[in-house]
Amino acid sequence: MQYMATHRPGGGQPVERRKWSRFRYPDTLISFGVQLGVLVFLGVSLVYMDVRLERLLEFGQRFVALIADRYYPPELSLLSEARYLQAILDTMQMAYLGTLFGLLLAAPLAWFASFNMTPNRRFLYPFGRLAIMGCRAVHEMIWTILLVSILGFGMLAGALALTLFCIGFAGKLMSEEIEAIDKGQVEAIRATGANELQVFAYAVLPQVRVAWTGIAIYTWDVAFRAATVVGFFGAGGMGWYLQRYVQQLESQRVAAVLISIVLLVTVSEVVSAWARARVAQAK
Amino acid sequence: MAVASISSNRPFDHRIFAVEHQRRRARWRSAAIAGTVTLLAAICLYNILVIDTDWERMGSLGEVLTSIGRFLAVDFELIPHLVEPIIETLMMSALGTALGAILCIPVIWLGALNITPSRWIGYPIGRMMMTLSRSIHEIVWALVFVSAVGLGSLAGILALAMRSIGFIAKIIAEAIENVDPKPIEAIRAVGGNRLQVLRYGIVPQVLPVAIGVIIFEWDINIRRSAVMGLVGAGGLGLTFHRQMVMFNYPGVTTVILAILLLIILGEALSYYARKAVI
Repeated sequence: MQYMATHRPGGGQPVERRKWSRFRYPDTLISFGVQLGVLVFLGVSLVYMDVRLERLLEFGQRFVALIADRYYPPELSLLSEARYLQAILDTMQMAYLGTLFGLLLAAPLAWFASFNMTPNRRFLYPFGRLAIMGCRAVHEMIWTILLVSILGFGMLAGALALTLFCIGFAGKLMSEEIEAIDKGQVEAIRATGANELQVFAYAVLPQVRVAWTGIAIYTWDVAFRAATVVGFFGAGGMGWYLQRYVQQLESQRVAAVLISIVLLVTVSEVVSAWARARVAQAK
Repeated sequence: MAVASISSNRPFDHRIFAVEHQRRRARWRSAAIAGTVTLLAAICLYNILVIDTDWERMGSLGEVLTSIGRFLAVDFELIPHLVEPIIETLMMSALGTALGAILCIPVIWLGALNITPSRWIGYPIGRMMMTLSRSIHEIVWALVFVSAVGLGSLAGILALAMRSIGFIAKIIAEAIENVDPKPIEAIRAVGGNRLQVLRYGIVPQVLPVAIGVIIFEWDINIRRSAVMGLVGAGGLGLTFHRQMVMFNYPGVTTVILAILLLIILGEALSYYARKAVI
């Protein structure tokens, strides 16, 4: 449009064309400097960590040989043993409970941690942010190890670790969802004299309900993925067998466990994708 | 019931009836869902709390609080020994992300619907590789690579790379599927071959997205690389593991604080980097 304005015959002042650029620092030393810096950092890292790239080249052969040698054939009979099926069931239960309680705790925390709707910007907002960030920053495996050392081996530690993981994972997504809502409905409800909780229940929740359902399903999917491994550090479920067989160097059983993990996670991913698509449709 | 029947002559009655019916059905459905969720939760709680947990071994609440209390201290003597693992973790995450970004190129080529060489063979393979890479937990990848290349950070780098491929490839493939077709047509019109179309039509369009997602993945990979050491792949995880098996609980807290610091640093850096790119 501005281009046209400059060429309009006899039309008032020609408008100066804005110099368009995609990046903030185009064609400057800065962008090249950053690229160079990243490359140098990667190179220094390679030298510092003593990674030999030639090992990477022969790695493909070694990998195939290793799998053919040690992991093949997987001992699939393990998968039909009653105790292993029980472990799979345990894993599902841990993932379910962890997700459920994680979501129940994440919902209020997400409300506190959303900048636009938080009931108290001075205390509850930092509290919510800090709780979610703390849960998120610490890896779920570290949570598992800590909880196992406090509560002892077993599913309780795993379920609690997954709860913490879900608070961090879902809380962030949920609060971002709240931060994107339409303020009109909030003002309407507030104009009727509603308190903060009522505003949340009648103006915020209806707007984020569908998105939160999708987030909940996705969280369950990710938590299940993590639940297959938390047993590795002493919480119950399939991971416990994984750890046991890894340490006993029973590679063919490890292969069977890995295959079952991949299969189950793929199934859970398909189910979650289908459920999320249905939820999005029901919108 | 305010609405008597459909046969009454008042206007809108049938619509009111339909709405009421729908509402009743929706209420029933949400009640059924809530009931199922609660029932399942009760079953799981019973199995976990009553059957699986050994309450006597755990001891009283006081004992649990004591064991939590052991962690509430910082081991200052450990701090000088943390510098090297921190650098190692940071470098592992960067190298893993870089390797993942390189390895994901063929996956993207296969898995983006509009550039895939074959829709019936290549595309499903590409998609499957993305799902496989994402669905296997980084600890499992690390285990596989530790047994393949031995202990050390190379296993961690490879594990991070494999885990990163899926996410990076998925986002970039989706970006490629949504590119503006006009530049591609223009390049084709001046006689560009497939490679030139890729280079001049598609790459410039998705480059900002690609850089953004790689930075984002690097941010996530810092968090992951901090646990690689737990299964023998170097970095802060190894220090954490050592402190844990030495029962040096203040040291464990110190390592966790170091991880937190690293993650906050990475998050801030990635936030500003992505802002500068996009």
